[in-house]
Amino acid sequence: MSISAVRRLILTGLLIAIGAALSFASPAFFTVGNLMTLLQEASQTGIVAVGFTLVLITAGIDMSIGAIIAVTAMLCVNFLYYTHLPAYLFIPVALAGGCAIGWFNGFVITRFKLPEFIVTLATRGLLTGLALIIAVKDADGFVKNVFIEDPLFLRFGGAIGPVYFIIPVFFALAAATQFFLKRTRAGTNVYATGANPAAARLSGINTARTLVGVYMFSGFCAALAAVFLSARMMTAMPEFGIGSEMDVIAAVVIGGTPFTGGVGDIWGTVIGTLFLATIKNGILKLGLSPYIQPIAIGGIIVVVVVVDVWYKGFAEAVAARAARQKRLLDGEGA
Amino acid sequence: MNGMNDDLLLCAGIDKSYNGPQVLSGVDFSLRRGEIHSLVGENGAGKSTLVKILTGVTQRDRGSMVFDGREIPLEHGRTAAQALGIAVIYQELSLIHGMTVAQNIFLTREPLLPGLRLIDRGKMNRMAQELIDRYGFRLRATDVIDGLSIGQRQTVEILKALSGKASLMIMDEPTSSLTAAESAQLFEIIRLLKARGITVLYISHRMEEVYQLSDRVTVLRDGRKVAVLEREQISPAEIIRLMIGRSLTGRESGNRMVRSSGEPVLEVEGLCAEGRLVDITFQVRRGEVLGFGGLVGSGRTELMRTIYGIDPFQAGRIRYLGKPYVPSVARSIAGGYGFVPEERRLQGIMGGLSITGNIGIANLDASSGRFGLVSGGKELDHARQAITLLNVKPADPDIPVGNLSGGNQQKVVVGKWLIRDLKLLIVDEPTVGIDIGAKEEMYQTLRRLADSGVAVIIVSSDLAELTRLSDRILVLRKGRIVREFAEGTVTEEDVLMASSGILQEVPP
Amino acid sequence: MIAHTRLRRLLAGSRLFLILILMMAGLSLLSDRFLTLDNLTNVLWSVCLIGIMCSGAIYAPITGGIDLSVASIAALSGIVLNALMNGAGLNLVLSLAITLGFGLLIGLVNGIVTTRFKVPAFIVTMAAKTYLFGLAMYISKGDQITIMKPRAFLAIGIGKWLGVPFPIYIMAALAVASHILLKHTGFGRRAIAVGANEVAAKLSGVDPDRTRILVYILSAGTAAVAGIVMASLTQQAYAMNAGGYELDVITAIVVGGTSLMGGSGSVAGALTGAVMVGFINNGLNLLNMPASYHPLATGLVILAALILNQGMSLPRTLIRWMARLRPSA
Repeated sequence: MSISAVRRLILTGLLIAIGAALSFASPAFFTVGNLMTLLQEASQTGIVAVGFTLVLITAGIDMSIGAIIAVTAMLCVNFLYYTHLPAYLFIPVALAGGCAIGWFNGFVITRFKLPEFIVTLATRGLLTGLALIIAVKDADGFVKNVFIEDPLFLRFGGAIGPVYFIIPVFFALAAATQFFLKRTRAGTNVYATGANPAAARLSGINTARTLVGVYMFSGFCAALAAVFLSARMMTAMPEFGIGSEMDVIAAVVIGGTPFTGGVGDIWGTVIGTLFLATIKNGILKLGLSPYIQPIAIGGIIVVVVVVDVWYKGFAEAVAARAARQKRLLDGEGA
Repeated sequence: MNGMNDDLLLCAGIDKSYNGPQVLSGVDFSLRRGEIHSLVGENGAGKSTLVKILTGVTQRDRGSMVFDGREIPLEHGRTAAQALGIAVIYQELSLIHGMTVAQNIFLTREPLLPGLRLIDRGKMNRMAQELIDRYGFRLRATDVIDGLSIGQRQTVEILKALSGKASLMIMDEPTSSLTAAESAQLFEIIRLLKARGITVLYISHRMEEVYQLSDRVTVLRDGRKVAVLEREQISPAEIIRLMIGRSLTGRESGNRMVRSSGEPVLEVEGLCAEGRLVDITFQVRRGEVLGFGGLVGSGRTELMRTIYGIDPFQAGRIRYLGKPYVPSVARSIAGGYGFVPEERRLQGIMGGLSITGNIGIANLDASSGRFGLVSGGKELDHARQAITLLNVKPADPDIPVGNLSGGNQQKVVVGKWLIRDLKLLIVDEPTVGIDIGAKEEMYQTLRRLADSGVAVIIVSSDLAELTRLSDRILVLRKGRIVREFAEGTVTEEDVLMASSGILQEVPP
Repeated sequence: MIAHTRLRRLLAGSRLFLILILMMAGLSLLSDRFLTLDNLTNVLWSVCLIGIMCSGAIYAPITGGIDLSVASIAALSGIVLNALMNGAGLNLVLSLAITLGFGLLIGLVNGIVTTRFKVPAFIVTMAAKTYLFGLAMYISKGDQITIMKPRAFLAIGIGKWLGVPFPIYIMAALAVASHILLKHTGFGRRAIAVGANEVAAKLSGVDPDRTRILVYILSAGTAAVAGIVMASLTQQAYAMNAGGYELDVITAIVVGGTSLMGGSGSVAGALTGAVMVGFINNGLNLLNMPASYHPLATGLVILAALILNQGMSLPRTLIRWMARLRPSA
């Protein structure tokens, strides 16, 4: 079995173990209601994480996802507030908006060859400001909280039976994206672009186009998450999405997609997302201070990355030694 | 050679220059179908340029090219070359890690399920395995290439080219990272390719391989074709003579070797580094220039890095200035021991910093005072000293080193050592990428340095340079010292033959 | 094409000053409240804090890394200090020493994780930002704690000498020390070398790991000092107080001419940048735009500064980037 499969297995095992421990430690944890809430939280982060995973596979990064959520959410609410058109008409527009922002990110990165971190950081600043500018304001210039009343739109935030609507959407998106990555040429190109862009280009892959596509998808996922968030909250605030980058990064890192690119898959991200949500939920259910959450998340990220990097070094050293032994055995001096 | 045309490629009068000196002049070159043809020549003879022209990476200035009966236009580019079936086997550049053999072979050309735009994985693996089996390789289509040895990865590269219906396979120094067993396997593969009518263009420095494999050999020298040898005419010694055969200048046939009588500065005994060096024993003395020769991959740079303290070693003893020495970079520098690395741009200079900055960083011990404060004045003095000593142009200590010419950059790199109290200086490729005038200056500098009592070790792939500068030459081959030239005259041919394993010496 | 670096640096510096003067002129036109003593004093405080943080934080980009945790360290320091002084009742000097020590420890952890474990700096410091913030919130239970004593502590913020408030002296002292450190000591030279070309630096006897660890310790240290000063100035220990400061710090550093790729840096430039950021924030306040507009402004400023910086030295930047992409020798 490959290393990443083993890792995923270990992670799943840990997840189940932690889940079991929490169920024993807290009676409130293992109820249908709580588990559904947990899954809903997970899905909210997870949808963005799916897009982010692709960006990471190309060895890039998207710091603007939180801001995209904010802007898209504000756009949604504004639309409803000003036009009173049915919400479902606007949703494709929101998604298109996310794509457009993602396209902009990708374009600047590939055309001007600027580092992804900086470009998306700058975009983030721009979009945060934009979210504020388009926000509906009252007479004094302060942002007004607009409530959404459109029932069809609010369905998104709702549930089918006990299952929140967002949950199957998340899993469907994850499955579709995984499928895309593993079963289509375009998906293979994403991996190639991340693993070895020079080789990819030699083989005829248009790496610029692949990168732009990936950032567009990231924007799309952020926009999708924004739609669900506004539906659930029945409103939109410019602060939406602030700090979500950390959760998304945590989910993807725990799930085993490295920042170096070329490797990664959606199932890892899904498990990572569930893991993160379980930890966060568990902390609350155990009655601990909610501030333990960021401590745990930050700490786990560091531990996971350290272990991953250490293991990679270890595996490489073992492989290198094996190769040298082989050469020695083959009768060569060097 | 008439009627039925069995020439796959016919080139005539190829000229190429890169804004300046002619790299190729009037080169005629031909390849017969299904032959194994070797292209040999020293570094700088024009081999890689010719290959680049064939593969469309660069374009020829003049000359005709006919491939498979078709006229190839001057603008011949990469995609066109690929379409014609010209394939190059790179060392590892074109494989994607994390993917399987089959995925790599069929990258961008994966077979799809009928009607859908989805990859038919089963079919892809089957087709890959068929290809592998057809050539008798021992690979599985589902192996991930990360776990394969370099030799196996090379095989995947070949398969990739084959699946693209290559009719000409170009291999550039394919055995430099392979074990003997893997090399033998590669030769089998090449013969197999030949049996299937594929033409192989083989570029190598290793004479025994050229001799083993080739149907014909083309020798390039200074951008011109000097000979095309048929199988019966091929002998390693003859090829070397043709490669080097310089119209002899006043320097006559070679350089005199001199055994120095100075005290030994560095003594190395039985040095072994896993996978790189085997049982290296030598000494370098005060006032002598010790040159290390050998083919690419023979371990010269690795040896330098190990004795300087960058890379570790597993066995052996080193003595520096008579005392036992455990190499580390900091200790080396403090002990009067410097190192000029091979790749100037990547390892030697800090391009954004000024000359003063570059020189200063290795001389902080001399310019620092109390509290770790550095005297800017002293640093400036050091910089000016180095500039004067080596005649750096422009003579401005504030210029960012990245703006200097190659020759001047190298002067800065050497300069930072020269102003110290040096006992030993290692220079890896002293004049690569430097113009003639600067080369001469560098030779004089090194000579003067040695004459002042410093032990100098040089590594060079430029045989003329090596034989000219060195008082003594040690030749490395596959991580071992195989020959010492310490007496009499030595010619470039001698060195090359020793490097290629043709002249072996029984150790005294 | 200006060949002489000294001249170029001078021009770059004066370019900054010019922009600064223009900003002052523009802002005084836009709002008649700008040039009042009250207002300028406000600007001074934020510039002071950013400036203190910049003094140490500038080294991270110089070595090609980044420290995103400075704001959290500052916030945490205020809270820890208060807990020691007023919660545990320790004397002021001891509390200050422990707080500072704690900050240095965080820097050490950041440095070790990024060098020995080879984790990219921005992940390490971003994670640190998160868990330190969580820690700050946890200790303070999210409250805004008012600090009324000890008097000696509050004197740091309020006290003046020769009419100039203490915090200004602290910032000036740290800035001068940082400038001397960068331009006139071996450590500064080594940090620059590591950022310029790590391999060449290593071959010249520099220990890149050791240098980087010291860099992150320094960065955390000045952040802790800033946190202490902020607590004294605002008479408050509040975890949310430092939010967003790291963006201001990075903006100030980048605008001041330090490249994020490493290999060069200017403390004076960073200070000028800090003033500019202070003006921007102040201007937004005066124009009655809510506080959350400032990411937009700083985002634009970073973008502009980057493009200007890149445009000037694009070829060299590319060469250095390519060098960085090759496996290290």
